[in-house]
Amino acid sequence: MKPTSTDKAPLRGPRLGVEIAGVRFKNPVLTASGTFGYGLEFAPYLDLNAIGGIVVKGLSMKPIAGNPPPRVYETASGMLNAIGWQNIGAAAFVAEKLPGLANYDTRVIVNIVGFELDEYLEVARFLNDCPGVHALELNISCPNVGKGGFHFNKDPRDTHKITAEVRRASPRLPLWVKLSPNVTDIREFARAAEEAGADALSVINTLVGMAIDVHSRRPRLRFRTGGLSGPAIKPVALRMVWEACQAVRIPVIGIGGIATAEDALEFLIAGARAVQVGTANFYEPAVSERIALGLGEYCRAHRIDDIHEIIGSLRDYE
Amino acid sequence: MLDRKVKIKEIRDLGAGNHLLVITSPEQARLVRPGQFVMLKCVEDTGGNPLLRRPFTIFNIHRNARSGKPAGLELLVKEAGAGTRRLVMARPGQVLDCLGPQGQGFHLPPDLSSRVATACLVAGGVGIAPLLLLAESLLALRIRPILFYGGATAADLVLRESFERLGIDIIYCTEDASHGERGLVTGPLEQFLRIHPRKDTRLYACGPWGMMRGVHELAVGYELQCEVSLEARMGCGLGACLGCVVASEASEGRSYPLVCQDGPVMNSRLVRWDIAPI
Repeated sequence: MKPTSTDKAPLRGPRLGVEIAGVRFKNPVLTASGTFGYGLEFAPYLDLNAIGGIVVKGLSMKPIAGNPPPRVYETASGMLNAIGWQNIGAAAFVAEKLPGLANYDTRVIVNIVGFELDEYLEVARFLNDCPGVHALELNISCPNVGKGGFHFNKDPRDTHKITAEVRRASPRLPLWVKLSPNVTDIREFARAAEEAGADALSVINTLVGMAIDVHSRRPRLRFRTGGLSGPAIKPVALRMVWEACQAVRIPVIGIGGIATAEDALEFLIAGARAVQVGTANFYEPAVSERIALGLGEYCRAHRIDDIHEIIGSLRDYE
Repeated sequence: MLDRKVKIKEIRDLGAGNHLLVITSPEQARLVRPGQFVMLKCVEDTGGNPLLRRPFTIFNIHRNARSGKPAGLELLVKEAGAGTRRLVMARPGQVLDCLGPQGQGFHLPPDLSSRVATACLVAGGVGIAPLLLLAESLLALRIRPILFYGGATAADLVLRESFERLGIDIIYCTEDASHGERGLVTGPLEQFLRIHPRKDTRLYACGPWGMMRGVHELAVGYELQCEVSLEARMGCGLGACLGCVVASEASEGRSYPLVCQDGPVMNSRLVRWDIAPI
């Protein structure tokens, strides 16, 4: 993906476009699953055409009600959530949301969830035939459901198995695998997914955490534990993205606490081909557009013609 | 549905940790319906503590002294944690991120007076916040509001002069009898409903979960309709994070309604009162 020295168009501003598994993104700023609804919720607050892509809320074949409240709690520079995969179901998404998203010039990636392997395969097969879906993101790393999901990210062999099976179930769509940080060595899981045919990796999902109300002595979340997200997890995410980039050849999409263009640049320098903005969407709905603009400004200020000059450009001390 | 940077016009200390926050935002003020809320955060607070915006019910529309036109919003902020502390320590002129007005307010169709003659407004502490705009709308619809306003002590009965100015009947209750009757607000409410058993009475409640549950149970007992203004911890306030749900009688196997979008005002019969959202 290195640009050639003659391939320059300085008058048109820096080139921010990236490609992931044959899909072209106008810039490397995407929104993370679970933090951007089905995309259209944010249309009043930003120009959806200004971002590279939208990863929609995790979808199962049948609607899921989710966990009883309380589901969220703010912690130092972050938040815990245990939503429990509440979603309207893939068929309702395709009928009610996807046509609206087609009005925007951005990419739509669908995050898929399931309690059992068969449920993942069913939703993957269904979405494979849906025009307007540009890639699947396999969610095997959600810590907030009792069974399934998370199970496939406990052993690299399980990650390999589910990746291979979903790969076969949706041959048309690029398959991204979203990895959990709640493992000893993320590189093993990254390699397992790559070997099984994943086209890209999304790194990372939330870190399992907990908070307790000392007056009632109850957990702040009814599910007891939840996924920690937000700026608090950025250093951990950045380290894991950097590790994953060393371990595989397929593109890595960096996720974890990104709230500014500078945050996004850190992940790109560490080797991520693109980034996903998550929790920051909650407190600044237009943040992804601002980050995309910020990347352009950084490139101009540093006389960088193409974002690929930044990707994986981490330097060492002498 | 607007996200705006707004300036603090005034912060008035109301005592007992309560503050009236007045912000300048004519554009948002023009859109407000009784029961709606805004999400607030100081713009300087980026990526730290507090992280998320906080939801606040709109207490009143601030009007231009001369023209009477909507100029901003008045919000009741009770210091309860890091997020609210940050807001009440802000200074006039400081800029806030303000998203809103959000959510479903009270159900106030133009022909409401054909079914409702008396409205019992029940507030516990800062639960008073949505009831001023509601009382004004009810008066405009020629429905008689009666306010039942309870708090732990007299100091918790904030902003009561705003209601006294409307000339409506008000029953105050405090747990220590420092103002009005002694005890919980549901006591005098029940007494009223017993003495005035009329089907054209409607209940509106906002306050602690237990109080709203009590009002709901009275509504069921007296076969009256009841709307409650719910509170929940919110991630985004715009329907994306799915964090602010309430367990619902109507949600069997389907989904949990969102306080930010399907609420904050809901029919009390849709709420499952055995599962508190906070």
